[in-house]
Amino acid sequence: MAPSDEHDGARNRIAQRPVRRFLEDSTLADWIERHALTLTALLTAGVLAVMLYVPVGIVFSNAVFVDGVPTLRHFQEILADPFYFGSLASFFENPLAIGSHLSAIVGWIGAVSISLSLETPLPGLDVPFPWVSIRTPGVQGGLFGFTAYQAVLSTIASLALGLPAAYVLANYEFRGRQTIRSLTILPFVLPGIMVAVGFYAMFGQAGTLNSVLGTVGLGPYSFMQYSPLAIVIVAHAFYNAPLIARITVAAWESVDTRTVETARSLGANRRRAFLDVVVPQLLPAVFTGALLTFIFTFMTFPIVLALGGLELATVEVWIYDRMRRLDYAEAATLAILETILSLGLTYAYLRYESAQSGLSRAASPPGREKLFPDLRTALSPKRLAIVGYGVVALIVFVGPMASLVIGGITDSGGFTLRHYSFLLERQVDGADFQTQPYPAIRNSLLFGLGTLLIAVPMGVVVSVVTARAGRSGAIIDTLAMVPLAVSGVVFGIGLLQGLVFGLSLPFGWQFQVTGAVAIVVAHAVAAYPFVTRNVSPLLSNLDPAMVESARALGASRTRALLDIELPLIASGIVAGAAFAFAISIGEFSSTVILAGGSDTYTMPVALERYLGRRSGPAIAMGTILLAVTASSFVVIDRVGGRFEQ
Amino acid sequence: MPKVVRTAEAPITAFKTTRCHNRVMQRRTFVRAVGGGAATAGLAGCLTRENGEDGENGEEDEGELKVATYSSFVEGELEDGDSPAEWLKEAFEAEYPDTEINWTVPEEGLNLYIQQAQQESDVDADLFLGLNVDDLVHIDDNLDEQLFEPIGRDELENANRIRDDIDFGDPDDRVLPYDTGYISLVYDESAVETPETFDDLLEDEYENEFVVQNAQDSDPGQAFLLWTIDRYGEDDYLDYWQDLQDNGVMVGDSWTDTYFGPYENEERSVIVSYSTDQVFHAGGDDPDLTRNQIAFPDDQGYENHEGMAVFADSTKTELAHNFMDFVLTSEAQAAIAEKNVQFPAVADEFVDLEESFYDYAYEPEESVTFTYDELDGNLNGWVDDWEQTIVQ
Repeated sequence: MAPSDEHDGARNRIAQRPVRRFLEDSTLADWIERHALTLTALLTAGVLAVMLYVPVGIVFSNAVFVDGVPTLRHFQEILADPFYFGSLASFFENPLAIGSHLSAIVGWIGAVSISLSLETPLPGLDVPFPWVSIRTPGVQGGLFGFTAYQAVLSTIASLALGLPAAYVLANYEFRGRQTIRSLTILPFVLPGIMVAVGFYAMFGQAGTLNSVLGTVGLGPYSFMQYSPLAIVIVAHAFYNAPLIARITVAAWESVDTRTVETARSLGANRRRAFLDVVVPQLLPAVFTGALLTFIFTFMTFPIVLALGGLELATVEVWIYDRMRRLDYAEAATLAILETILSLGLTYAYLRYESAQSGLSRAASPPGREKLFPDLRTALSPKRLAIVGYGVVALIVFVGPMASLVIGGITDSGGFTLRHYSFLLERQVDGADFQTQPYPAIRNSLLFGLGTLLIAVPMGVVVSVVTARAGRSGAIIDTLAMVPLAVSGVVFGIGLLQGLVFGLSLPFGWQFQVTGAVAIVVAHAVAAYPFVTRNVSPLLSNLDPAMVESARALGASRTRALLDIELPLIASGIVAGAAFAFAISIGEFSSTVILAGGSDTYTMPVALERYLGRRSGPAIAMGTILLAVTASSFVVIDRVGGRFEQ
Repeated sequence: MPKVVRTAEAPITAFKTTRCHNRVMQRRTFVRAVGGGAATAGLAGCLTRENGEDGENGEEDEGELKVATYSSFVEGELEDGDSPAEWLKEAFEAEYPDTEINWTVPEEGLNLYIQQAQQESDVDADLFLGLNVDDLVHIDDNLDEQLFEPIGRDELENANRIRDDIDFGDPDDRVLPYDTGYISLVYDESAVETPETFDDLLEDEYENEFVVQNAQDSDPGQAFLLWTIDRYGEDDYLDYWQDLQDNGVMVGDSWTDTYFGPYENEERSVIVSYSTDQVFHAGGDDPDLTRNQIAFPDDQGYENHEGMAVFADSTKTELAHNFMDFVLTSEAQAAIAEKNVQFPAVADEFVDLEESFYDYAYEPEESVTFTYDELDGNLNGWVDDWEQTIVQ
């Protein structure tokens, strides 16, 4: 449908629906329609209270109560410990000694020196680069400082790798574009151990990349050891650049470009029009992606240890360790500090997002050019840059996954199918108390579908309630983002101690929640923020006048949402649905905890249980996980695509 | 006095709903759907009310023993053949026809039961199989009451078969060992020389070649840390670790991460692992074991005993003891050694292990291990000092 038709279509719907509704009016349906938003919002709040706030609150309370008496002792201890807060610790220890803090800062600045030199930073390449080195007298960041530092670097790397992908996918037409768009968030579902194995198999001394380089006489290079921090950051980008790309593509496809034409007709050149018209419509999505990436990499856990080692430990590593020792107070205190930081950032961003008031009246994305229409265009600098990016993307994203797949069909003797025949035998002959592949696949798909069906309405409702609601909206939205900002370890322990063991209620009642349905709801709680974060930027881009006109013509808020807003932000909803599915497929800890001893295991759980002293069976299971998830993503996008224009 | 028990099933949905049930103490149980709207349809909540009356043992089956263990014991380590759990279940149930072994693998391991005891909810298993000595210290650090009851050695015919040197040193005698194993170095002989001593690992030969696990939460990682404490003493072990760091040691996370990541992909050539490593790579007529060479630095190996214990809450004490006695029989000891790829806990004359087992499973001349008393009150502090040394 051409953009202008679509716009008229939306307008026609505004005009026609109320009339039709008026004719078919029935009181109950009408009541439900009028209150659907409120009811869904209340249900969402109820689900969050039971499945999130209560469990997390139980764990967090360990930080502020000692034997039932409230205390801030744990916070004081941790804030004033240089191990956690480095140079800031002395500030926290005595925040009022402003004079000595100031003189410390002045002394520090005086000792900074900057020098310019030529360096060869690329391993194996003798190309000198001008290198600015800033020597500072050691700032001790402590555990929190380092965690934030690597998260910032990871966010920058993820933006650098994610935004070009969004640009290409939104602006160029080529074979397989839609499939690639569907598959972007595939890395999201891979368990940390598989990413680590995939990275070693791709970038290791004996890895795929060195084998390929070897065929042209280069290498081998020790990519993994050159800088462990760099590898960890690339691995974070492997997870998060696709997230930034997917969110940004969804926004790009909802851009109202007719304003570009207006700008052009008023004399703006292409670049100017892009910067002034398209970029502002994309920024909320880009910032959303960056924010999510920062939060995730701030709370990163298994991947730093697996690729970087304990030297690169983050706060979450410590939370995990303290929780394993059952030192609840220290674990909870660290987790609360982590959450405060994440939520603070989220709130700051949401204030910005809710201040956006767009003028978009229809999704009329820029037309897509053919990527390689002819040879001459293919050799233009822009196209060559895209090809260059494609090679990088192939190495960073496809490489580790492909190397993993290869690992599943090889052993020391070369090609083999024995890892798969092990899985098949386990399926056919395994004892019923052992883990079998088929139930894992089936459970994963059922849970994923269930999660999608619950998380999408939850996420959309939170978006609708909070978008443009100013400060109060930003506060509610921030509280709704708690699932992203709470340590996964804490959430898991909270579910165990709160819902699985049971909560004591008055009069001797016990409240317990376990089983498959609880797992799905827990997944939905973890997943709906992704729907919200995909939908909200698009929603705030819409011209509020459209909904107001519809309401003025007699449409209920729900009807206006269903008929006017949702069709215009469908690409965000489809992206959110794909994320919800992905979160459910990849989820591990709440799945095993809420299973409560029953055999409701999923693919990542099966994979983990197959990790014995041989890697083959687990890698084969990882390949199955990738294949099943990939086909599901294609289906979700195809089905969802029917609602997108 | 029995009263009416109302049970309302949750609405049938596409998902299996779990009923709350409790084998040990009968409770009034309600299963009911919470909410009913689109967003929460089918969320199965479960409200139970403490009855306080024991003795309604309607659903209790005399012959059922719930055994908690770790995942590889159930799933099996080897490609062909049963897992140790499969073998034990089949053989024990054949010997004791009215019994049933139910395996359970809690993701949180022992911590699940410690937390259940902390919250004073019922501990949901009869026997735990897979305890190390540090687990006992961990229990006692976190619980005032007993999680496990003392072993009733009088009820066991085979307890005296256990090797004299396998002793947890537990003052409460809660654990019965069922197998033992050695942590050693595993190395690639095509890349590095055999590391003969701990000091060797500080040589240039091993620069950026050595990978160990995280002593915070990995068994072999913690074993290696304790081994260095034994070797260099409480005052000097951190210096040794600093030297290791200067020589580019990688402190990874779990055994799986380190072995399947840097070691298997030839990024590192020496790893802390088990002295049975070759068993997993010795298939075929002419196995290539270049990357599976075993080294015992200073001719030592760190020995980790694995044990089993009966939960104090269990009402199946007798059955549990029958099972433990069975685990110590010659056939079971041979089966566990082969299938769990560990060494038997009983003395040689009480186990018929094929000689070929020792072709690929190595024992050190001298073994190092820490007992309960040595770890009690020290372990967390040692690990704390170590992690601060590594991370700073």
